Amino acid sequence: MSNGDSLWILLPTGQRASGEWIDDTLHSRASEQGLLDRLTQVAAFPRQRVEVVRGPNAEGQVNEMFYRRGWADGLPIVPPTMARVDAMLRGGGQPRNTVLGEAQPLQGLVTVEKVAINAVMAGCEDCHMPFVLAAAQALIEPEFNLRGVQTTDENVTPLLMLSGPAAKTMHMNSRFGALGPGWRANAAIGRAVRLIMHNLGGGWPSAVAFAGLGQPGRYTLCLAEDEEFNPWESLREELGFAADDNVLVVQRAESVVNVTGGLDDLASVMASATSSFSRLHGGTVAVVVAPYVAKLLADEGRSKAEVKAYLHENSKMTAAAFEKTWIPSRLAGQTKAPRWVREALAAGGVPAVEKPEDITVIVAGGDIPIPQCAYMPTWGFPSCRIAKKIDLPQGWSPVTEI
Amino acid sequence: MLRASAAAEAAGVPSSSLVCDGFLGQGATTAVGLGLPNLPMAKVPGHVDTQTDNELRDNLTSVTVNAVIENLTAAQPAAVMIPEPGPQDVVMEGSFDEINRFFYENGWSDGLPIVPPTRAKIESFLAFTDLPTEHVIGKLLPDNREATVWNVAVNGVMAGCKPQYMPVLVALAEAMADPGYGVEHSGNTPGAETLITINGPIIKDLEFNYEQGALRDGFMANTTVGRWWRLYLRNVAGFILHQNDKGTFGNTWRVVLAENEDALAKIDWPPHSADFGHARGDNVVTISRFTGGDVIASVFGQKPEDMLPYLADALISQSGWQLIFTVGMADGSYTPMLVLSPILAETMAKAGWSKGDVRQWLFENARIPAWKFEQYIVEFTNFYSGGRSMFELAQLGKANELYGVSKDPDRLVPLVCDPMDIQIVISGDPGRTNAQVFSHNGILGFPTARAIRLPNDWKNKLTGAQ
Repeated sequence: MSNGDSLWILLPTGQRASGEWIDDTLHSRASEQGLLDRLTQVAAFPRQRVEVVRGPNAEGQVNEMFYRRGWADGLPIVPPTMARVDAMLRGGGQPRNTVLGEAQPLQGLVTVEKVAINAVMAGCEDCHMPFVLAAAQALIEPEFNLRGVQTTDENVTPLLMLSGPAAKTMHMNSRFGALGPGWRANAAIGRAVRLIMHNLGGGWPSAVAFAGLGQPGRYTLCLAEDEEFNPWESLREELGFAADDNVLVVQRAESVVNVTGGLDDLASVMASATSSFSRLHGGTVAVVVAPYVAKLLADEGRSKAEVKAYLHENSKMTAAAFEKTWIPSRLAGQTKAPRWVREALAAGGVPAVEKPEDITVIVAGGDIPIPQCAYMPTWGFPSCRIAKKIDLPQGWSPVTEI
Repeated sequence: MLRASAAAEAAGVPSSSLVCDGFLGQGATTAVGLGLPNLPMAKVPGHVDTQTDNELRDNLTSVTVNAVIENLTAAQPAAVMIPEPGPQDVVMEGSFDEINRFFYENGWSDGLPIVPPTRAKIESFLAFTDLPTEHVIGKLLPDNREATVWNVAVNGVMAGCKPQYMPVLVALAEAMADPGYGVEHSGNTPGAETLITINGPIIKDLEFNYEQGALRDGFMANTTVGRWWRLYLRNVAGFILHQNDKGTFGNTWRVVLAENEDALAKIDWPPHSADFGHARGDNVVTISRFTGGDVIASVFGQKPEDMLPYLADALISQSGWQLIFTVGMADGSYTPMLVLSPILAETMAKAGWSKGDVRQWLFENARIPAWKFEQYIVEFTNFYSGGRSMFELAQLGKANELYGVSKDPDRLVPLVCDPMDIQIVISGDPGRTNAQVFSHNGILGFPTARAIRLPNDWKNKLTGAQ
């Protein structure tokens, strides 16, 4: 028999419908880009579902091995043992072999089991699985344009916003530090989504993904809409769902821009060149309004729709300034701005987005009088605000038994 | 990017995609995603925005133009094969339970315990063939994986076969790889299952059961060779449930059916292998895919004329949707099988009937009204929805002329196009008046035979093994 630990692990990486493993393509790309000095074991793994790792410190071995194979995000991962994955699958309530679709660009099949494996690696609790599944389904919707997101030179990443009563019970943070570290749901669910993009879609940075800088949101970008501090209808109700539904809303987001202040400060940021891509591609941006600002606005009797209209109206960039921004000036004459942009410029200034409804507004953050709002610009075609209602399995419990 | 090129290639028009240096990696990946991993690309050195006209002209003429010419004129290499563990790699070390768990979780087992394929055990199988270990028997769809002597042996060990069964296994792998058999259909929706029959002195050499209980487990040769067949379909051809194997219900491995050569000799009827050009005394395996069929119990009668109507009725009652392989989807590829116990065959032979006579009688009398035939292939199943009657199909030459004799819907038509399409095998309890009918899966598992090659010194090797 074996000495020390014996870990039975399931492999997280993608296999196409044809049976090919995406790591073989990735090996070629990584080699061309000089990544194999660091990722020394790319494509060097048994082409199987299960691998057995033995010996003292097997968990540590798996962690190191996965990093060298290119399957991690740079932080330690939780080795996806069969037992852990089985528990994660129970948490999700879906059969393991169900195929949800293919992850672009390398077309690894997104099966429920592979989602669970990456969710375990990310540090998810079993009760997070229904949310990870919903996010995975959103990613592979054509309107999300996963191929674009994975391969562009822009720094775009999925933005996950949870609207619903489960957010509180599963401790997804919507208050102080909602976009920062410390809360497992925010950290792990967003990280699981990134690992799925990485391991099933093959979006390895500098091998397939050529984002110039990327952004910290590519580790995780996940928060909940606050219920108590929201004076208006919830995001899920705006989108036609019921108050007691749990809805995950997914958009494409460039880096989060911090805005200390209120609507005018937000509008000023939105008017700047940060909104270049929504002016080129159209699309849906997101605004997080601090509780303090939300209360002020509500006390003034302003509805959410009025807030959006205000931001839209005041996010205008003049034609003179617009011509100087990178895209129109570099691609002068070669790329036509969308008609709404040209018409707006002719009329005096182009807003960040085509219409107020293209702004997603949620209330989140700590309740302090120096309000921390945020603006997430967008990138890419087509306009994308994907809402997935979470069907919680029978007996779902937000508390994981130890 | 590259979508226009992909569209051109898909339309059969060669393309060359000009890609700037910095985007080559992206291009390669995008090409994969577009389903064309080797989409030809021509490098444009540097970045076009930053070069002077002269620099750009030099770069294009010295580098890019050549690449474009090659893209448009040279054959592209085929896409890379999926790397798998090497055939002789050790995939796992551990206890019996651990190996079994590992194999099961990796999809290499049928759910029963397998015998761990160790090198020593595999080599004991290799001793029973004179073919070299790396000899490639063929390539099996859908995975397009090579069937080799080595992997035949590995699966033989796993199935619990004895080493001396190896010549049978090799012949079966050869039959599986025969394009005429159509192994690529083995995951089809109806889920018909292969029946292996075996003829020749090897039946007794390897102690195959050919008498009472011929289709039941209990004898190692019949049982383990049958099990090997499905393990081989799984591990080499690549049929995995919920993936490539789409049988609605499926069925599972049948034990090998060995024909009763003694009974055949007694009545001087040819062996089943004679249908494929072999003679009594040849060691032969045949394969074809059948659905369940039924036992025909208590075939009563002292003369063939008394017994055969019941057997004809059995062929009729067991032939339904399968008739699409006689007319509609294929032309005369339906070949049902009738297994007769020796006493039934002896009774017929005693009356002077040959096997050919029996086939002829059944061909002429196992007939159904044309409207009933059409009901199966059109109204019940919608398998044939061309809108033409059998008569019209026969007129157009798309069905055997037997089906176009008249337009009368009540005219009786045969189940098959030729008496030889009714396969007859002699086996089972020699003293019981039972028969068995198997309905056949047509071109999607067409009867295929292979001679079994014995190694030099077979007899001595066999004695040594026992």
